[in-house]
Amino acid sequence: MSQQLARPIRRALLITSMPVYLLLYAPLALIAVFSFAPAPGGASASAHWYADLLHDPDVLAALRRSLILGIGSSILGTILGTLMGFGLSRFRTRARTGFAAALPSLIIYTPIIMPSLVFGISDLIFFNLMHKATGLFSAGLLTMGIAHVTFQAPYVALVVFARMAGLDPNLFEASQDLYADARQSFLHLTMPVIRPAIIGGFLLAFTLSIDDFTISYFTAGPGSTTLPIYIYSAVALKGISPDINALATLMIATVIGIGLLQYVFSRQKERHPMPRTGD
Amino acid sequence: MPGTTDRGGITLEGISRVFGGGIVAVDQIDLAIRPGEFFTLLGPSGCGKTTLLRMIAGFETPDSGRIVISGREMQTVPPHRRAVNTVFQSYALFPHLNVAENIGFGLRMRGIARAERKFRTDQIMALLQIDDFATRNPAQLSGGQRQRVALARALVNEPEVVLLDEPLSALDAKLRAELQVELMRMQKRLGMTFIFVTHDQQEALVMSDRIAVMERGRLLQVGPVLDVYEQPRSVFVAEFLGLSNIWPITPAPGNTADTPLGRLTIVTPIGNERTAMIRPEKIWIYNDTAAPLDRPNIFRGTVREAIYMGASTQYRVELHDGSIVLALDTNNQAAERSWQPGEAVALEIKPENIILIDG
Repeated sequence: MSQQLARPIRRALLITSMPVYLLLYAPLALIAVFSFAPAPGGASASAHWYADLLHDPDVLAALRRSLILGIGSSILGTILGTLMGFGLSRFRTRARTGFAAALPSLIIYTPIIMPSLVFGISDLIFFNLMHKATGLFSAGLLTMGIAHVTFQAPYVALVVFARMAGLDPNLFEASQDLYADARQSFLHLTMPVIRPAIIGGFLLAFTLSIDDFTISYFTAGPGSTTLPIYIYSAVALKGISPDINALATLMIATVIGIGLLQYVFSRQKERHPMPRTGD
Repeated sequence: MPGTTDRGGITLEGISRVFGGGIVAVDQIDLAIRPGEFFTLLGPSGCGKTTLLRMIAGFETPDSGRIVISGREMQTVPPHRRAVNTVFQSYALFPHLNVAENIGFGLRMRGIARAERKFRTDQIMALLQIDDFATRNPAQLSGGQRQRVALARALVNEPEVVLLDEPLSALDAKLRAELQVELMRMQKRLGMTFIFVTHDQQEALVMSDRIAVMERGRLLQVGPVLDVYEQPRSVFVAEFLGLSNIWPITPAPGNTADTPLGRLTIVTPIGNERTAMIRPEKIWIYNDTAAPLDRPNIFRGTVREAIYMGASTQYRVELHDGSIVLALDTNNQAAERSWQPGEAVALEIKPENIILIDG
């Protein structure tokens, strides 16, 4: 944009943006600050509540379950989501117009825009029915894992689909033209070029799983309390305590860390300078 | 192999391709391309030339007809089993591989050992003068360098046939002219059959042994460049390839025909032909006072436009009856042989230079 807005308008926009940023980040900062509250009887800032967490068996058990659930579901969700994104991108190149062309986006976006409450309730009903019918699918980490995979896969598919859509379709013909059969083409072209998208999709899936409360709450069973559920019940029971602040701060740090990792991987594929034209 | 005598030769028999919605992209094409030939498919965009190329590569399957490459039937052979390599218009270089790896891709897929792969890749990179970029990524290359890499990636496999889909269209004029010459040299040196697709008539004229002019899925004319240019058999070919003056004609007594310009003397009496064509460079221009009035087909008029093009000048001359004739004159004489708008001139249309076209 070469045309600048008038100075007063720019200033007004800047001023109105401040409260937005404040509301976004102040609560997070506040929690981090409170997490370093003084130890009981102490007077200065301390890491006491962090040390406390490390000795709390309930917290450690919830963390362990969250990690098992997060890693397990992310692996499966990434595999299924990658296949989904890849397949739908292939479908897209065949059908260019009308409903058929819009179908892949529809399939991917519907689960993403579905309220998680609806998702959670339907999962609950579904697993109940399945349990009655088969005796399997009793509420627990397994049902939670399946539920997580169902909302992770579309996100991964979206990332992979976007990467595929951004590629020159001639690339795949070029590999065929250069003697690669379907297997070689997938191994030596498709996989390497969508690898950054797969890694990014995995990290996204992991963050989604680690902090999911709604769907987890509906599909959890006895003994499958994850971190978000633990935090919710702790707050409901005894109100907000400094150790919850410490736990929340750790989660914020983890999510930001994964976000940065994702940024690094997504930058990697575009690190090359812009092509020059002519000689 | 029984068919090896025809290594690099291509025969198309009754090839058709109909897309969804009944769009006939390629319509009953018969064509024989000789081994080692630089053959150009020339036509406007949407004429089916790229579809035809893609059927030879194996990316499209013809709805009917036979494709024979080097004596072998190709209808059921997938692209990766054809001894044909393509240079794509978009170059389609693999973004995750560097230049040397891109070029070696085909050899690697065929399971050729690393040492030989390196030897052949180095050799072709030296030949195309891209060895300095071996470890760069495609995104770090200029358009001309990418073009060379795409060409090297095809040539290194020593295919029987190289297919080139408008490979020069994204380059600027000077680079394009350089690469045209380089492509021709490379083709003659390696002796492979090149099938080149372009919509650029100049490119087709410069590079090809033979050309085929395509329109709406059909081949209008196939032949050596000189024949197609000098003896176009249709108005479309005449107009698509170079500049032309085209007039409807009706028979008149003897070796003459009536045109909007007036009566024209021609070499032999006309038969079914209803159109006369003459290239602008085959029309002689004289000062009005120096017109050779003893010769046939002298037309007098006034220069309306003179476009100076360096080596030659193109004149739009309006005859006394109002019709416009294009004439081209080389600037190999002194300034007295050039005319300004408004000057009176005489044009000579020699009977032997008039091409008669059916219909």
